[in-house]
Amino acid sequence: MADSQTITCDALVIGGGIAGLQTALDLADQDYSVVIIEKDISIGGKMIRLSKVFPTLDCSSCITTPKMSSAAHHKNITIRTYCDLKSLTSDNGQVSAHVTQNPRYVDEDKCIGCRKCEYVCPVYTDDLEQGGFSATKAIRIPFSTATPQVAALATKECMLCGKCEKVCPTNAIDYFQKAVDFRVEAKTAILATGFEQTPIEGKPQYGNGNVDNVITSLQMERLLAPHGPYNRVLRPSDGMEPDSIAFIQCAGSRDKSMGIPYCSRFCCMYAIKQAMLLSGSLPLADIYIYYMDIRAFGKGYEQFYQTAKAMGIQFIKGKVARVDAGENGGAAVHFEAQDGGGVTTENHDLVVLSLGVLPDWNPKGICPVSTGSDHFIQTVQPSIAPTITDKTGIFVAGAAAGPKDIVDSISEAGAAAMEAANYMNALGR
Amino acid sequence: MSDPKEKKNENSVNRSEKIGVYVCYCGGNISDHVDVEKVRDAAEKMPGVVVARTNSFMCSDLGQDLITQDLKDGLIDRVVVASCAPSLHESTFRGAITRANGNPYIYDHANIREHVSWIMHGEKATFKAEKLVGAAVGKAGLLEKLDPIQVNSRKHVTVIGGGIAGLKAALSAADFGLNVVLIEKTPFLGGNAAMLDKIAPFGEKASDLISQLAKSVLEHKNITVKTHCRLVGFDGYIGKFDLSVKTVFTDPSDHEQHPGHFVPFEGVETDTVVEEIIETGAVILATGFKSYRPDHGEYGFGKHKEVITLPDLIKQVGKVEGSSTLELDGRKIRSIAMIHCVGSRQIPGIHKEDENGYLNEYCSRTCCSSVLFMANKIREQFPDTNIYDFYRDIRTYGRGQEDLYDKASENRVVFFRFDATESPQVIPSSDSDYPLQVTVKDGLTFNEEIEVPVDLVVLATGMEAGDISDIVSMMKLPVGTDKFLQEVHPKLAPVEMAVSGVFLAGTCQAPMTIGEACNGAAAAAAKAASLLGKGLVELDPYVAEVDTALCDGTGACVDACLADGALAMVDGKALVTPALCLGCGACVAVCPSRAIDLKGWSLKQYEAMVDMIVAE
Repeated sequence: MADSQTITCDALVIGGGIAGLQTALDLADQDYSVVIIEKDISIGGKMIRLSKVFPTLDCSSCITTPKMSSAAHHKNITIRTYCDLKSLTSDNGQVSAHVTQNPRYVDEDKCIGCRKCEYVCPVYTDDLEQGGFSATKAIRIPFSTATPQVAALATKECMLCGKCEKVCPTNAIDYFQKAVDFRVEAKTAILATGFEQTPIEGKPQYGNGNVDNVITSLQMERLLAPHGPYNRVLRPSDGMEPDSIAFIQCAGSRDKSMGIPYCSRFCCMYAIKQAMLLSGSLPLADIYIYYMDIRAFGKGYEQFYQTAKAMGIQFIKGKVARVDAGENGGAAVHFEAQDGGGVTTENHDLVVLSLGVLPDWNPKGICPVSTGSDHFIQTVQPSIAPTITDKTGIFVAGAAAGPKDIVDSISEAGAAAMEAANYMNALGR
Repeated sequence: MSDPKEKKNENSVNRSEKIGVYVCYCGGNISDHVDVEKVRDAAEKMPGVVVARTNSFMCSDLGQDLITQDLKDGLIDRVVVASCAPSLHESTFRGAITRANGNPYIYDHANIREHVSWIMHGEKATFKAEKLVGAAVGKAGLLEKLDPIQVNSRKHVTVIGGGIAGLKAALSAADFGLNVVLIEKTPFLGGNAAMLDKIAPFGEKASDLISQLAKSVLEHKNITVKTHCRLVGFDGYIGKFDLSVKTVFTDPSDHEQHPGHFVPFEGVETDTVVEEIIETGAVILATGFKSYRPDHGEYGFGKHKEVITLPDLIKQVGKVEGSSTLELDGRKIRSIAMIHCVGSRQIPGIHKEDENGYLNEYCSRTCCSSVLFMANKIREQFPDTNIYDFYRDIRTYGRGQEDLYDKASENRVVFFRFDATESPQVIPSSDSDYPLQVTVKDGLTFNEEIEVPVDLVVLATGMEAGDISDIVSMMKLPVGTDKFLQEVHPKLAPVEMAVSGVFLAGTCQAPMTIGEACNGAAAAAAKAASLLGKGLVELDPYVAEVDTALCDGTGACVDACLADGALAMVDGKALVTPALCLGCGACVAVCPSRAIDLKGWSLKQYEAMVDMIVAE
């Protein structure tokens, strides 16, 4: 490990997704100094990877990039990416964090984001930022709006040909870069660690990810995104334009067999949104949504659902029992039709699984906050102060405290900022 | 050219020759319909333009860097961005210019997304985009550096509404160090939540939550609580609002006023009416919701006394103590039908509109969990009472809510699913043993027609926007098609109103749970804290400006002015009070000598825009 340093600030925000960014911006606007630590090589979280967002159909980048940019340029905010949180404690008004910044093998201070290394790199590898549908290089800036615009080298793929080092105009490539340990000393911390999706391999009934053209909803976001892998919606196995597309809801939520009895809260709405966007890009395609209950509960959401119905999107009530390989490279969906049709099989060209939502971070052994039976961060006053954890001085915002859509996450982030600010005020500013 | 006035106007024209144009692809939002590179090529040839660039997301860090770098390099001194609506990103790009030590007002914005790519296709779209960019370039050439108007703001917030959200907002703002006045029209704090017993899904007692918040509010040194208090006047601007409030110790709409007389169950009525002005810096609206009242005959409501609303049931069951048999009004309740979505999720063509042709098309968000919470309570406390639940979709979305649904199944609550086109019917029972029966086509059993005899029908009534039309018109607040108050943007500015310095908390915005309302309230307080904490608020300088050399003192502008106090005649010349000026331009249109103009939106600039639009 390289020599360690200590950063002192008022508030430490764990996670640079939309909830973390909003909390940080609200605190920084109140003149508190904030450090954000992010595990990924760019801030932006899940939201920056989305296409458009419900119910306004605003492009997701248009909402996220300016928040990323203001956080990056805010005089009161320091951002550290590619970090692992090793420990986080809060005692007597003092929050201490031990963080390891992973080596990206590129000097952050020298890299100017010109991407010359990326262009010259001969190694192609799956681009997970594009759902694995296209290729990227072993050294790259992960996506066009990534913040910071600093390249990172994936050692697993790199074959050490040295081309990037030679082409870099600022000598930023450093094959010998080491992980850096540092400490953050703050007064308060806000956990905004977000969510991840249940693994597609987790549900044998839905093919464990081995059935062609059965994809995850986040992969569908990439297919629909303006900077997507194909720039249009094609099914991945053979590049065919799908005529029949099905969404399977609760594919990992409300499912005790997967140990996830709870509702993942935003899947109904994103499936409806994706269906709407699909009917725009593939006007002739038939689109089906298999569901148990449509949970369109937020402001304008029910109207959004009714609009989708009026657009001709088919809503089929029923829990899908099984998905396997179907005709012509499609997938066969087996379900019990509740209109009296009994057990039915439908063939679709492309099937999207609305996977469940899991916490992205487990505090066990790192931070003394409790989690609930659902493994999300526990809050102690869920009605009148939903952002307070059971550890004094540590607050929580967004999906870290249970699945939550963007609107609710942003509102909760504002609330967490207020609670944290007032906690600091009570300590004496 | 002997006219001195004419000469002065000529001299004031000082065009920039260093304009930078930045055209955004917006992913594909713009570039799918507009040939962005062609727009860039056209922009580069426009007079005064020294550089034109494109980027996939100009609002991203990378895009902004293009602008800041050109400014720092001294290449440009005026900026035109062609992208989305300025309401989204005008402040983003001004911020970028400021970072490069530029004046934020040397910037103009061409909206080629909402005004072009989202509504047009093909060559016409590209043509229009070029014209809009041209207009912006024309204007940008004449832009001048401006300074924002700075006003000292008051470190004071007024919260309107003493329900849970209002209490939470007041407490949050006061803890931050702002002075707070909380006004509430009734004699009580707690609002709608006070009508509840325990809160779904975790079962906290509403009275405990309200007492805890109200105690902290009442004891807080920074908070003044005014009950019986109504807003009657609204004046001023962000940082300096003057609110007129009236304290009325009885509500004259309830009964005739008899000052000095004893009113049964109320006490001695007073006629004390205190009017005063609250000097404040920001306003947080927490005016809450009203519970939907079913129409006469809707599911038999009003026709059959056995049909009640969920709030009624909560109140009545809350009074039953110590018995394991549920009796209401002396009747043993053996079975209850609970019907969801009453007054919510109404669909045009299916549901009956109100007298104004209006439907509640939204979901009320909280009723599913409330129904199931109540159903579980009854099944557990009174095991002899059966519950039949008639629903469209069960929306137990939140943390702990799905458990209520699971538990209801374990508690053997019987569910029936109906389609909006075939709502259940509540009619007198064919079984003489029961007063009512509910018939339904049950979607869970292949649309079988089912009759359920019941002793009680409970309607899960939703939330409606509270009647605050007086406040809405006084403060000129935007209201959504759902009649709830409308935020600026659900993600960019979720608790902000279009009226600067006015924020939203709780169910005046949309139906939400207590937890969600408290989050909204604290988020609103956070915005107020950011706004007022520094003691200084900056306003855009787009206000009228008088050239006293040209002013003939006709006073036409003062007559035309739409903002009280913004314009006055002083010593025979017009004088503007910038902080009050709306920048509407009504004065500019009526001035016979072109002596009054708008900073940042001058007539010359408009002319330059039109010239560019009509140019070949």
